[in-house]
Amino acid sequence: MAFTITCPICGPRSGYEFRYGGQDKGPRPDPAEMTPETWCDYVHMTDSCPGVQKEWWYHRAGCGIWFTIYRDTTTNLEVSPDSPEAVA
Amino acid sequence: MIRLNHLPTLRIKPGVPRSFTYGRRRLQGVEGDTVATALFANGVRVFGRSLKYHRPRGLYSLDGESSNTLVNVDGVPNVCAETTLLADGMCVASQNAFPGPDFDALGFMDALSWAMPAGFYYRMLHKPARLWPLAVPVIRKMAGVGTLAPDFQAPGRRDEIYPAADVCVIGAGVAGMSAALAAAEAGLRVVLFESRPWPGGAFEYRPGAARDGVACFQKTAELAAAVKASPHIRLFLNAPVIGVYSNGLVTAFQRGRSPHPFDERYIEVRAASVVVATGCIERPLLFEHNERPGVMQAGCAHRLARTWGILPGRTAVFSVGHDPGLEAAVDLFDLGVEIAAVADLRQDGLDPALVDALSRRRIPLLRGWSATKAHGRRRVAKVTLAGANGRFRKTLDCDLLVASAGFTPVTGPLTLAGAKLAFDERTGFFLPTCLPPRVHAAGRITGRQDWHAVAASGRLAGLCAIQDNGIDQTAAIGELADALGSLPGPVRGAKFVIAPDSGKKTFICFDEDATVKNVDQAMAKGFNVPELIKRFASVGTGPGQGGIPGHNLPLYVHQSGASPDAQPRPTTVRAPLTPTFLATYAGARLDMSKRTPIHDLQVAAGGRMERLGVWHRARRFSEDVHSREEILSVRTAVGILDASTLGKFRIFGPDAVKVLDRVYVGDMTRVPRTRAKYSAMCNEDGCLIDDGVIVRTGDNDYYLTTSTGRAGVTVEWIRYHTRFDDWDFGIVNLTDAYGVINLAGPEARAVLQRVTDADVSNEAFPFMGYREFAVGEVPLRAMRLGFVGELSFELHVPASWMAYVWNLLMDAGKDFGIRPFGLEAQNTLRLEKGHVIIGSESEQRTTLHDVGLGFLWHRDKPWARTVGDAALRQTEHQPGRLKLVGFRMADPSASPPRDGSVIVDRRIRGYVCTARYSVVLKEPVGLALVEDDSSAKGAPLAIYEDGCGGRLIQAVVTETPFYDPEGLRLRL
Repeated sequence: MAFTITCPICGPRSGYEFRYGGQDKGPRPDPAEMTPETWCDYVHMTDSCPGVQKEWWYHRAGCGIWFTIYRDTTTNLEVSPDSPEAVA
Repeated sequence: MIRLNHLPTLRIKPGVPRSFTYGRRRLQGVEGDTVATALFANGVRVFGRSLKYHRPRGLYSLDGESSNTLVNVDGVPNVCAETTLLADGMCVASQNAFPGPDFDALGFMDALSWAMPAGFYYRMLHKPARLWPLAVPVIRKMAGVGTLAPDFQAPGRRDEIYPAADVCVIGAGVAGMSAALAAAEAGLRVVLFESRPWPGGAFEYRPGAARDGVACFQKTAELAAAVKASPHIRLFLNAPVIGVYSNGLVTAFQRGRSPHPFDERYIEVRAASVVVATGCIERPLLFEHNERPGVMQAGCAHRLARTWGILPGRTAVFSVGHDPGLEAAVDLFDLGVEIAAVADLRQDGLDPALVDALSRRRIPLLRGWSATKAHGRRRVAKVTLAGANGRFRKTLDCDLLVASAGFTPVTGPLTLAGAKLAFDERTGFFLPTCLPPRVHAAGRITGRQDWHAVAASGRLAGLCAIQDNGIDQTAAIGELADALGSLPGPVRGAKFVIAPDSGKKTFICFDEDATVKNVDQAMAKGFNVPELIKRFASVGTGPGQGGIPGHNLPLYVHQSGASPDAQPRPTTVRAPLTPTFLATYAGARLDMSKRTPIHDLQVAAGGRMERLGVWHRARRFSEDVHSREEILSVRTAVGILDASTLGKFRIFGPDAVKVLDRVYVGDMTRVPRTRAKYSAMCNEDGCLIDDGVIVRTGDNDYYLTTSTGRAGVTVEWIRYHTRFDDWDFGIVNLTDAYGVINLAGPEARAVLQRVTDADVSNEAFPFMGYREFAVGEVPLRAMRLGFVGELSFELHVPASWMAYVWNLLMDAGKDFGIRPFGLEAQNTLRLEKGHVIIGSESEQRTTLHDVGLGFLWHRDKPWARTVGDAALRQTEHQPGRLKLVGFRMADPSASPPRDGSVIVDRRIRGYVCTARYSVVLKEPVGLALVEDDSSAKGAPLAIYEDGCGGRLIQAVVTETPFYDPEGLRLRL
């Protein structure tokens, strides 16, 4: 992983220290309003779009928190959450 | 050979000998020699034979640009002699030549080159297909480069370091050192990589004066001293860069120095700014037999004399296209080499001072001339020179032909960093047209060749690197850029020239024996882009990584007019830029493992330890692979097991119970203080990933165990599945803080009662109970669980007290026949009880329902949004799933099938998870995952075991547990 990830506690660190937690798909859906299909989509489907995505990372070899960043999947560079590209 | 030992530029210590063997000869070099220079000093001119044609090959360059000088050193094949420093006692041997490089039995192959056109392997040997297996061993033997024994162990040690840096400079030549010093003066941390064993680059050995009148080598040495003195610069010598990646990541490896030449170190640096100052290599001159031993590049000939004190030949002819080539001719003449003639590709633009120096020495200079053919069988004896139009020719005797068409920049690191390159007409270089952010190019790579201009461009790159680190340098950069403008700019390069009659033996790539004619053949086949020709004709795919043909191929293809591009286009460069041992990438084989607190006690008790995941655990305590004695002692008396590898966690806080309800399938809201609750965790697919017990140790305070394999990921798992909930809880991994002793067997209580004042009777401490009490004053946590199916106590003991408590119990149990038992015994014991081990009785797709643990699932807690709850609902009655069943053998005297054997009828219906002979039941029993329609009690199972020869083993599905189905013994 030739890129850095900015941990909100530890700052920018080598990507080796982190575990990827997938695209951010929001909180777990309410079981009452859920069909098997929507549930399956929530668990298994990701957009896999080239470009900026909001995603989860876990600082495994560090402070041990889960957090989100915006990363451009084509360049592996982080994008500021305030930038116009950063839409979840 | 006598060395020139008076030169101030020498890097050898002539008085410090190094002895080594070459084949059967015992030779001597000196300290500072590379393997190549030591061989050359001892008169070796033919270093090896080429890949296909077995042509003699000699020293051509000194930085590993080609495979000419690959040798076997101390049993390691394909060692580049040019870049490996000589060590005392080295055993060097030639490769791909029998009996030796000077006379090679396969030398006749050269005459057969007509039979091996471009794409030979692709086109010739695949039809008919049955020829291919016959051809492969022959080709391997004839066209090999080095052999490796099957039991070969790579010598040397490997490690890896990740130094921190603000600026990473690639190349410690004049530009690189200037850049590093500029950044260091601003207080930045600089990592400086140099592939040679010393800094200095192209100016390090040159005696010519710079513009201020001081010799280049002297000025360069001053820079090197300043670099060495700077506390902010970390200089890695012998460290070629192998990769440059986005975001300032640079990887390199450092070769070991004498006496450990095979030690290698992987280095990875992430810097805010990267300066590429890799300089130039020479572009090979194309003519017939341009790789005969005795032909070498100008820098190679010059450095042999200046750095290693070796005269490269007696009588030399020069055919060059750049001023440093002329400088080399003048200098080598002064050092004692006879120069028959100097041909220069250029008609004009030669440095007048050098032209003057040549004429003063009466060395004939032929402007616009170049070598067209080298003569001589194993070494150069004569050379034919021709004028630009080929009309005038001249043949001269010589034993050294210094041939170079000019310079070509080493742009590999820039390309890897993402720079776009374009052909530049003036320099003849591929120059970067746009650089990625925070990457800078400096020095000769930009076409400048003047010492001061190179130094200034390095310094400018250094200032830009400072700017990248957030320190404003705008003024200084502007000032220096102006100053650089008044210094000599990029030098005009010699035009691409190829003699009209060359082709058949004009080698564009030495490594793969690819000639200009092969390129023509590829183009005749319709390949018109260098990238494709490179692959079809194997040009630049060898160990030199394009060092020889990298620039000539695009130029030649472009000149031929076949290419559709308006300008020459370079071929793609990929990491690693320099060949590296695979072992270096693999790194040190650090076997990271853990021992339980009572590891040594178990070994002393006869424990056979083995690795399971990260842990060392006792498999058994006797020779008996079935551990019968251990099993019987648990069933009839008492046994003791080290279960310290269990994951152990504390979860506390006002929302702790919500967390437990989220990840556990059971209802966690009513865990009483005195009871241990058994539950399981599923993933989102409802598949079983973990099981364990949960106890409540206080208000909003829980203690839980996980399986050994899950200990490392449980914190991550729990935090992940609560990441959207702003819950107030803490989780602590106590796995290494507590050890676990499992005391099991009908006499377990009697043993425990001897060492504690607490009441451990069945009434005071019933099955599934949880108590906290002291054993020998050690406070511990005790649970009554029954994994092995007997009365048993699981004691969680502070790790540092484990040995004490273990010994106490062993002493107390002596009268009862206590003995330690291992994993093998535990496995059989729990199998007899039908208890599952996750990973043995489950796989990725096995749900909670499939293993029969559906009763653990509390289906009415929608508020918890339990992980896996939705999938458990959907799969509860799903048909066609593999279900866990118990089985007995149709013939009870049969031996149990091996774990993993498949269950078949017309197709595979499942597989055996675990099967063992049960000492207690006196027959084999097992657990298997089988399709649901074969899972009813009494269903026959036909088991195919590896090596059963088609005779299926018959078994029958039975109920579990096999042993003590009512569970009375747990509750004793």
